[in-house]
Amino acid sequence: MSAQGAKPGRRTDGYATAVVLRLYVAGNAPNSAQAVANLEAICREYLNGAHDLEIIDVLEHPQRAMAAGILVTPTLSKLYPLPTAQVVGNLSDTSRVLLAIGIGSQAHE
Amino acid sequence: MSDSSSSYAPEVARTKRQDEQLSSVLLRLVKGGPEQQAVEAGEIDAVIDYSGSNVILFPAARQALRPAAAGESAYEPVANSLLAALTRREYQQLTPSLEPVTLTSGAVLHEPGEPIRFVYFPVDCVVSLLATPKGRRTVEVGLVGFDGMVGTSLALGVNVSSLRARVQIGGTALRMPQARFTRTVQESQTLRHELNLYIYSELTAARQTAVCSTFHQIEERLASRLLTTSARARSDRFYVTQESLAGVLGVRRESITQAAIGLQRRRLITYHRGNLRILNRQGLEAASCHCYGQLSV
Ligand SMILES: [Zn+2]
Repeated sequence: MSAQGAKPGRRTDGYATAVVLRLYVAGNAPNSAQAVANLEAICREYLNGAHDLEIIDVLEHPQRAMAAGILVTPTLSKLYPLPTAQVVGNLSDTSRVLLAIGIGSQAHE
Repeated sequence: MSDSSSSYAPEVARTKRQDEQLSSVLLRLVKGGPEQQAVEAGEIDAVIDYSGSNVILFPAARQALRPAAAGESAYEPVANSLLAALTRREYQQLTPSLEPVTLTSGAVLHEPGEPIRFVYFPVDCVVSLLATPKGRRTVEVGLVGFDGMVGTSLALGVNVSSLRARVQIGGTALRMPQARFTRTVQESQTLRHELNLYIYSELTAARQTAVCSTFHQIEERLASRLLTTSARARSDRFYVTQESLAGVLGVRRESITQAAIGLQRRRLITYHRGNLRILNRQGLEAASCHCYGQLSV
């Protein structure tokens, strides 16, 4: 996995701060595939590219999940901005994901 | 069982071990925590087993991720006892018609009077069969888990449900279209035989329900019901709301609250926000009306 963009708090330009997200999945299993699709749609609509998302397959990298204290998949972990937050499940509840990412409904004009 | 069953014995053992590992890891999740809630909602594919540095897949994920090897059965038959009774050949013929589905707690599979479109073989979910007399209260007349199926009346030639089938504990089931199931029952003597035994046990359980709800006290009935659920769910911890238990036992919610307080005071269970845990199984058996024995044939 490349370290590019993985550093929390990296500034994308002079002032804008990227949202740093990690999504832990189990391959293409049904809920994991759904979580990926849901998250990508949310990123497209609300984050406008100002995010750094890495999808981690725990079947290939179980040790990374354990290092991050992940218990189940799918789990979305927001690393930055602080405080960190997690959403567990297939991310079908958009408002819960937005809350965890730290953008309320006001971010959506 | 036929001799061909021995040919997939290793597969059976492997699945059983995976299921046991899965349930032991699930028990370590914080009760009522976000992970457990997501498991309950059927939104989880895998759990990380820290003690074994291992990832354990849920049955539906296992099924979805299995490489499509030609000629291999697509689902371990042991996932459901009725299907496990089939010979390997019979099972392989059925495989294309068995669709793994995730059922969420509270979902209704059949309503009374409606045609049965699918039958369901639970893998790790538990489905409550409710009689819905006119008026508001319902009463449970059957509980279906990994050892049974929903939609047995089709095997008796009746394609309309007389009951409400409501998912009590979410999880995975294998679903088969009604027409395919009816044909299979006609063709497979093994399945017919297993179904006869199962339908007989359903009948016995329904008779026992009549005795139980007429003669037994609410607290001992609740104890029995919790033991039955535990057996079906193969777990000492499960999620069940007071409303759902009231609908199961045909009583008011307040009666469930009182009965649960009684069982908690005797330190037999803990029950908080729907998260139920059996603390003392023997004590709970002693406190029950012993109808669970008949209910979980
Ligand atoms: Zn009883």
